[in-house]
Amino acid sequence: MEILDIKDLSFTYPLAAAPTLDSISFSVNEGELVALCGATGSGKSTLLRLIKKELAPLGEKSGTVKFRGKSTEDCIPSDIGFVMQDPDHQIVTDKVWHELAFGLENMGLPQSSIARRTAEMSSYFGIEDKFDRNISELSGGQKQLINLAAVMVTEPGLLILDEPTAQLDPITASDFINTVKKLNRDLSLTVIIAEHRLEEIIPLCDKLLVIENGRVLAFGKPHDVAVQLYSHKDIMCGMPAAARISAALGAARPALSVIEGRELVRTYGNEVQPERNVNDTGNKDTALEFHEVYFRYERELPDVLKGLSFSVNKGEIYCILGGNGSGKTTALGCASGIIKPYSGTIRIFGKKLKEYKNQTLYKECLALMPQDIKTVFLRNTVREELEDAGTDISSLPFDLTPHLDKHPYDLSGGEMQLCAFAKVLALKPKILLLDEPTKGLDAASKIKIIALLKQLTANGMTIVTVTHDVEFAAECADRCALFFRGEIVSAAPPDEFFSENSFYTTAASRITRGHFRNAVTAGKAAELCLLNGRKAEKI
Amino acid sequence: MRGFKELNPAVIMLYYLCVIGIAMFCTDPVITGFSLAGAVTMFLTIDRKRKIGIHVSFFLLFAVLALINPVFYHNGVTVLFVVNDNPITLEATLYGITASAMMISVLYRFRTFTMIMTADKLMYVFGKLSPKISLILSMALRYIPLMRSQTSKVRNTQKALGIYREDNIADTIKGEARIFSIMTTWSLENGIITADSMEARGYGLHKRTNFSVFRFTLPDRIMLLVFLALAGITAWAVASGEAGFTFYPALSGVTLTPLSITGYTAYGILSFLPPIIELKEAVRWKYLISRI
Repeated sequence: MEILDIKDLSFTYPLAAAPTLDSISFSVNEGELVALCGATGSGKSTLLRLIKKELAPLGEKSGTVKFRGKSTEDCIPSDIGFVMQDPDHQIVTDKVWHELAFGLENMGLPQSSIARRTAEMSSYFGIEDKFDRNISELSGGQKQLINLAAVMVTEPGLLILDEPTAQLDPITASDFINTVKKLNRDLSLTVIIAEHRLEEIIPLCDKLLVIENGRVLAFGKPHDVAVQLYSHKDIMCGMPAAARISAALGAARPALSVIEGRELVRTYGNEVQPERNVNDTGNKDTALEFHEVYFRYERELPDVLKGLSFSVNKGEIYCILGGNGSGKTTALGCASGIIKPYSGTIRIFGKKLKEYKNQTLYKECLALMPQDIKTVFLRNTVREELEDAGTDISSLPFDLTPHLDKHPYDLSGGEMQLCAFAKVLALKPKILLLDEPTKGLDAASKIKIIALLKQLTANGMTIVTVTHDVEFAAECADRCALFFRGEIVSAAPPDEFFSENSFYTTAASRITRGHFRNAVTAGKAAELCLLNGRKAEKI
Repeated sequence: MRGFKELNPAVIMLYYLCVIGIAMFCTDPVITGFSLAGAVTMFLTIDRKRKIGIHVSFFLLFAVLALINPVFYHNGVTVLFVVNDNPITLEATLYGITASAMMISVLYRFRTFTMIMTADKLMYVFGKLSPKISLILSMALRYIPLMRSQTSKVRNTQKALGIYREDNIADTIKGEARIFSIMTTWSLENGIITADSMEARGYGLHKRTNFSVFRFTLPDRIMLLVFLALAGITAWAVASGEAGFTFYPALSGVTLTPLSITGYTAYGILSFLPPIIELKEAVRWKYLISRI
């Protein structure tokens, strides 16, 4: 049964030259899970917001949006649920129970039915133990789950999620997506979800909707849509590794999941194996060295860093991977001198951190880019921001000129990251510490950042980055290290690191396991397949 | 039966209004004595930290307040001694001790009040008065820690970028001013998202109801009646003039009539009721554990 029907929807923002959405038509049946994808600025958010009339932007609109046969203008708020990107700011109240009750209070329900519905919802989501807690004590993933639960208590017929996992780490994001899938399956709830991280959602969705420049590029079953996308590089780069391999090989039926990917790769021979990269890292100068560093936040709390020792060579990209709360960010805080370990030594270019007096550490030596990139900006325009930092705009390795007069907060995730880089690079750091540089970025921006990091290290900069993003680490790192319980348990070049790990590894590595050695990126896997050729052709 | 802390917040609120109100309006050594003893016992029962500092500081405050009255106020017929031509009288001294004991007892009560009445309980009580105030309070309580943590993040980021130096006052002030300005922008920006989220969830369409996790059960009703009855008896005894005490010009002495004795007893019970309930619960729990 058709639940949502959009016909010839066009939308133009006030003062905008071109329409943001241009005659979009599609319809969604009840119980379908629709994934919406498209590059940043393609109009995804605008489309989703136009379906929910309370959030619809102002502007010139034409066409119809019908929910259950009636115009969405006549819908009540509880018909359509909407979850936004930022877990923090869509939360209204201070307690978990109050947040869950908020929508029901607005509907004017009596105490007894609010009590029943919140109780029901919190046991469905498994958040009973958090019912009385303050929301500020919860992690980002838990907050986003509360947001979802708070929308679900009003029993919407259609659930819209606008990049709900952009601010979450991959493991939490995957849990969140699975919860959404569970809702979809258990309640036959119709879901439209816009995502950057398609690796998780595409194997689960019923339909895939791709928009480009405000037009529907493709809409249909994910396998059918994926074939049509082979030639669209900017969208393809965000697709699952299996799909990227299929695109590179031109497979007739694209593989989307790891299982399908394995089947596809196995139709190719494996006589030619890659050489192990023997890059000689011995006898290089050390840029940053941790020796037996211990740190805890408060006297009564346990150690966060427990005898952390590692060293980073000059001119390499060192990626630190690890779970939530393992102390990765704390280690960067120690390296940048913001927090002080109670024991152990940290050396930067052979000199102890403590001996860098009066900000000399930050003068052409070391800089830290934080996880929350918004905290880098203090001024009202990008231009003022860069003048403040003393950046020479013409010397930047990327182009910021179209954004100079915008407020930094108005930039997209990727643009904001580049702008922050511009500000940091003006300090001419020799060591750059990055905390989750790919958080909230779409695939195209990620590729830009990887290229930028490689260029910077080629010019002699040393980069230490903390990340959850294994695909990113596999693409750009010279060495990867696994952080666990306050120390580094293993460090190796990415080929070796990811091919030895079986869970904490890239999708490409899982696809090629047992077939190719050391193929940890989709590009490499496809290249090897092409080198070997199809088995059938050989026989 | 539940412990005092688990009673309905409105009942707890009413208890504190009664017990503090009576203590403040009756400067009577008996009532003040009960009030102080009850307040201290209550504090000792629910204080888990067991730090001696608070008692010492309260005692010092008590001593200072008790001394001030006889030194500056010389009314009263019984002169104890004369300092610099100023008579120190027995009546003024006793009045000083009673009044400062009353203040200290109120301070102890406020201590326990803040320990028992957490923000959500207070909000429940205010929510009964006005749902809007309750929502605004709740949003403020959510927003303040968020803003504080964001400010410290911004400060750390700027420090690690080394843009504003700490060794130079002018730069530090300039940096702080910028941080304040961007935090204003940040607040407005996020205010919009919060407003969107509220509207998306139907805020302002109907008359809101006010949900709370606190119930008003039979024990709450019973305790409410008990508190009101005890406070009523005390107030009756005090209002009739039979339970009362005058310090000036001469000490009146405590009058003992059936009504005044009932009044004093009622206040004594009222004052000690919370620690008794807490203790009873603790004993019952011990007993239940011993049976398992």
